[in-house]
Amino acid sequence: MSSDIEAESISRNKGELIESPPPTGLLIDRILGEDGLQKWVFYLPVAFVVVFFAIPLALTYVWSVFERTRFWMEPGFTLFSYINFFTSARLENFLFSMYHSAIAVVIAFAVGFPIAVFVRRRITEVAQHRVILLFILPFMVSEILRVFALRPVLQRNGLVNTVLLEVGLIDEPITVILFSPTGVIIGEVLTFLPFIVFAGFLAMEAVPKYIFEICEDLGAGSWRTFIDVILPLAAPGIFAGSVFIFVNGLGVALLPNILGGPGAVNAGLIATQAMAALDFPLAMAVSAIMMTTLLVLLFIGHKLFDLTRIMTPIS
Amino acid sequence: MQDEYGSIFFHRLKWAYLLLVVLTLMSPVFYVMYISFNEYGFGAGRYAFTLDWYKTIFTDTLLLGAFRWTLLLAFITTVIVVPMGLLAAKFYKHTQHKVAIISLFLAPLFVPSDILGSALLVYFKNLNRAMESLSDWIGNEWFYGWFDLGFMTAIIGLIIYTLPYVFIIILITMARYRDQQTEAARACGATAWRAFWDVEFPQIRPGVLASCAFAVILTFNEYTRTNLLKGGFDTFTTVLISQLLNEGVSEQAYAMSSVVSFLGIAIIGIIILYTLIMSERLEREARAKAQPLMAK
Repeated sequence: MSSDIEAESISRNKGELIESPPPTGLLIDRILGEDGLQKWVFYLPVAFVVVFFAIPLALTYVWSVFERTRFWMEPGFTLFSYINFFTSARLENFLFSMYHSAIAVVIAFAVGFPIAVFVRRRITEVAQHRVILLFILPFMVSEILRVFALRPVLQRNGLVNTVLLEVGLIDEPITVILFSPTGVIIGEVLTFLPFIVFAGFLAMEAVPKYIFEICEDLGAGSWRTFIDVILPLAAPGIFAGSVFIFVNGLGVALLPNILGGPGAVNAGLIATQAMAALDFPLAMAVSAIMMTTLLVLLFIGHKLFDLTRIMTPIS
Repeated sequence: MQDEYGSIFFHRLKWAYLLLVVLTLMSPVFYVMYISFNEYGFGAGRYAFTLDWYKTIFTDTLLLGAFRWTLLLAFITTVIVVPMGLLAAKFYKHTQHKVAIISLFLAPLFVPSDILGSALLVYFKNLNRAMESLSDWIGNEWFYGWFDLGFMTAIIGLIIYTLPYVFIIILITMARYRDQQTEAARACGATAWRAFWDVEFPQIRPGVLASCAFAVILTFNEYTRTNLLKGGFDTFTTVLISQLLNEGVSEQAYAMSSVVSFLGIAIIGIIILYTLIMSERLEREARAKAQPLMAK
């Protein structure tokens, strides 16, 4: 008990409310005390993320100009990987995957955002979070399993075709929905839809309920309300959700790998294939290009909408 | 649309749409479950209910071994990442540079798995080389193979992946906690640890539990990073994908996927229920406490 009291008297000196004498006592207590290790331990996550996330990603820019050796790479400066990327079919594939990803974003927004608006507007505050939690359920099943499960659904003799044939809407199976860019877009929408719902839900925090009433009182129609009031207010959150889907559509190799055909290749798949071919500088160049795309998008978004507004509900 | 408030029909229609979207998102999973009960496997044209595939799971040593590795990965990642998320959230609350810190912690969300995975892979290989040459320079083998691809590198990749989710969940639950309570505890002479453990932690416990569940499930489900960084062993998803891309999926894999999906849904379902019940109870208690004041 006495050691407890001792420790307390040592550790008090941090409190803003209490005036206390400078730390005394055993050296070990001072090292482990609140101005010693206990203070520094809070920097641990930051250090971890910097060392194993920020630095590796920043270094991709460096590695991308290294020279390729047979199994690895060696320091040097060459733009060969970038030339390789920009003058081959890879660039075309990359641009096409951007286009497909953009379509997926638009579809996901059109399907998912109205849900966020509806939940915020029509459901009581207490119940809102529970309804949104519904969208965590599909998210809790592996992305792999969901994408993998899409194959039997979309296949020639799969669920969609069987149902449509039975109902009599089509005469022969639709084959364009699997092993094609369309298949990849379907996969992207189904995989990332929950994110636009979450992002939209957070974004709608910036649109209090009374705004709808004001709009109705002033006689604005649903469409005008949406375009002129909701969209500008919720823009930062919507933008963040959209960038998330866009970048993941570009970068997740698995989607074109499982659902795409010969024409569907995205940046992630290019990088993975380069790694498999032991062309590490090229893989790093693709990563660097992806990072640049992401940073440019976030920068534009920040200039347009001030993305820091998203954080207001949390802090 | 003035009449929208009055029209219960529109309201129900929107609810139906919402549930339809959730169902559509879930439909592939249900379809796999349906296939897993078919005696003839996928695409056989006839259907007979059977549980045989589930029985054979337990004889498939490849899947079982992978399952064990995955569980171990999930457990260790969770044990590390949740305290880390707590520290990160506390750090965020007290830091001056809020925008920089939150961007740093949330940034891994925006980097696609393949990009981060390959960057980390090359990083680890380079670290290894650097440390080996350092060892040679010193003249011993202390630093050999610290970052050989294996269990530890996979854990690092998974921590980076799950930390943003854990961080944001804990941060959201912490938003309701008022710091004055900690100050009061400190003024009464509690150490920082006691003030946290006895005062703050009980209030954010639902969030911590939810983040544990998230970390376990995300780790369980992750494929790309694990696959790039794992080195020698197999996890459940990597077995599944290699089967899928090479020889075709075995019926056991369908059964196993259904089991895993079911477990994921069940775990998160229980957590959600628990959180809801807890928050309801807390709310009721708060209301009960506030009542005498309201009556005045």
